[in-house]
Amino acid sequence: MLSFYEVIDRTVTGPLMSDQDFYLKLYVPELNKVIQQYKIKYNPDTPLPSDDALADTVFEAAVDFFSRVGAYCPDTSRVLQFTKDEIMQAMSEAPSESTFGEGPDRKVMRSRKPDEQSEPWYHCGGGIYTTSEAIFMNIVEGLTNIRKANSLSIPSSIKIKGKDARVRSPQEVLATIKTVSMAREACQRAGRPGLPILNGISTATGPISMFAASYPNFGLRPSDGYLVDSLAEMIVDFEALDKVAFYTSIGANIGSTSTPLYGGYNGGAEGNVIATVTYNLLGILIFRGTYHYNAPLHTKLRVSSTRPLLWIIALANQALHRNAPYPTVNLPYLGGGAGTDCYYYEMAAYHTCVITSGGNMLSGHPSIAVEPDSLVPLDHVLNVEVAEAASKLTRKEANPIVRKFLEKYEGQLKGPPKGLKYQDCYDIETGNLINSEYKKNADRIRKELKDLGLPIVKSA
Amino acid sequence: MKEDEILGKLKESILNFDEELAEKMAQEAVNSNVDPLKAVDEGLVKGLGIIGEKYENDEIFLPELMMAANTFQKAMSILEPKIAEKGKERTIKGIVVIGTVKGDIHKIGKDIVILLLRTAGYEVHDLGEDVDLFTFVDTARKVNADAIGLSALLTSTLSGQKDVIDVLSQQGLRDKYIIMVGGGATTPEWAETIGADLYAENAQVTVRKLTEMIEEKK
Repeated sequence: MLSFYEVIDRTVTGPLMSDQDFYLKLYVPELNKVIQQYKIKYNPDTPLPSDDALADTVFEAAVDFFSRVGAYCPDTSRVLQFTKDEIMQAMSEAPSESTFGEGPDRKVMRSRKPDEQSEPWYHCGGGIYTTSEAIFMNIVEGLTNIRKANSLSIPSSIKIKGKDARVRSPQEVLATIKTVSMAREACQRAGRPGLPILNGISTATGPISMFAASYPNFGLRPSDGYLVDSLAEMIVDFEALDKVAFYTSIGANIGSTSTPLYGGYNGGAEGNVIATVTYNLLGILIFRGTYHYNAPLHTKLRVSSTRPLLWIIALANQALHRNAPYPTVNLPYLGGGAGTDCYYYEMAAYHTCVITSGGNMLSGHPSIAVEPDSLVPLDHVLNVEVAEAASKLTRKEANPIVRKFLEKYEGQLKGPPKGLKYQDCYDIETGNLINSEYKKNADRIRKELKDLGLPIVKSA
Repeated sequence: MKEDEILGKLKESILNFDEELAEKMAQEAVNSNVDPLKAVDEGLVKGLGIIGEKYENDEIFLPELMMAANTFQKAMSILEPKIAEKGKERTIKGIVVIGTVKGDIHKIGKDIVILLLRTAGYEVHDLGEDVDLFTFVDTARKVNADAIGLSALLTSTLSGQKDVIDVLSQQGLRDKYIIMVGGGATTPEWAETIGADLYAENAQVTVRKLTEMIEEKK
């Protein structure tokens, strides 16, 4: 694989171009050409496709597209270009597994094959804002208590001494350090101090806060996961590369992340499936990733659960795991609020598509991840149960089930129901589940999912 | 060529993103003494209206919006001087100053709003990303804006939206502008908390609500 030094050198030697020209003269026309050339066509009848030849074609198209377009560095107004050979060499050397955590919670996340029917990696939580330290601690402890959880995404805590921590402010540095320390303490309380945190750290918006929080005394470890984002579409800025430079130097697990936008420069389903795969290639080659967060998103609805987006996440995972075994976790932004039927069906459809296609699970973010305190631990137990059930299905068996799930929520996505907050369900003092209706509702949902064909088993 | 045919072809050029046809038909309109304002409003703008509907229904996406806008500009480069020669000017729906607030570098959502506003007949001043709060205020004053649009994707940059409203209040200018907030991190509750006039969950709703508010103000 090209060295990181060679990669960063291309940010200062690549062709000069305005961002407008990058999109209008290069990115969009080449993407359209690739879609036509490889004859990629979305089929709404199979939100969960099982056509291996199509998956391989999508992969080939993504490699071709990446070699034609590259990535854009706004700090130097240059395009980072890579040849097909350089991309393919990186793919052949890509990590197929990534080791996280310490002690009994030290585990290996693998790239799975479509229809493999092995248990996926269960990644629970989300970087959703919490309104108090007590709720933050209880949520993390609640998530840690999910015995099958392999790793955590911890919430954001963007207040410090009652004041907002603004982006890139000293308050943000302090809030990020506090977030890490509190999360570790919550893991210890739950008896799992070695459980890895993979969304390091959503409170930090830039490298300074992240680097500060990475000081070992605060509790973050190289065996956790450190995220590096590209901005949509294919933007690789110096802040991202600064992070890569630091994380590779401390030997940390790097999670390359991407949010291709449905309705944006990628257009519809066909363009987005290619872009989703391309971001993984970028993650391996430019961000030196050891795992990837996929999060394609609908620009208008801001969810990941529409029919075309299910097709995108399923097919992109198949394309990747058949051709470049790079471990992925897949992040569903869901319209329905916590505890709503809409949320549960969106989550079930998304996980079923991802797990049968070779991806790993990241539990569903309710209310488009904007409702504070909306990480309700029992919902995440259900996420794990659904993902485990989906791992027992093949893509062909699962497609009709996904279609039934879609019927349950598709019509609600333009105005999804609001849901519950942590404090509506749990006692903040004790962390005990006190909302019996919510608990009963979860049991009803389990039964409905089972009746629709998902072999879900209630965990102990 | 008859007037109806020219207007139809201008509309068609927008729907097919055909810049060459747009230029040719704009020139044909001039040669055939078609009122240039009519050529814009009953030819090009009708096409843009259909483009807006198609975008709303997920039939087309951002690249097509950009191509339609470029096609419109090609025709306007010929028609606009003719409108001016006749001592007229195209009616604009309003003037909007828009940008992503300080500390936030996300742009696509804002760019979609800009395109839809422009295709709907607004004059838009795009300030870009990571915009200093006084740039919003100074530009709005300079261009005599009707509205200021403040985009923020991150929860920790939301305060940048409040800052602009605060400085407008401080300078006694708050009621002069319609303040629109949007972006991934914004919610209706947040908009209400900071006293914004308009929260919209997506670009089309922004345009629709803004148009209603400007109409009401008149």
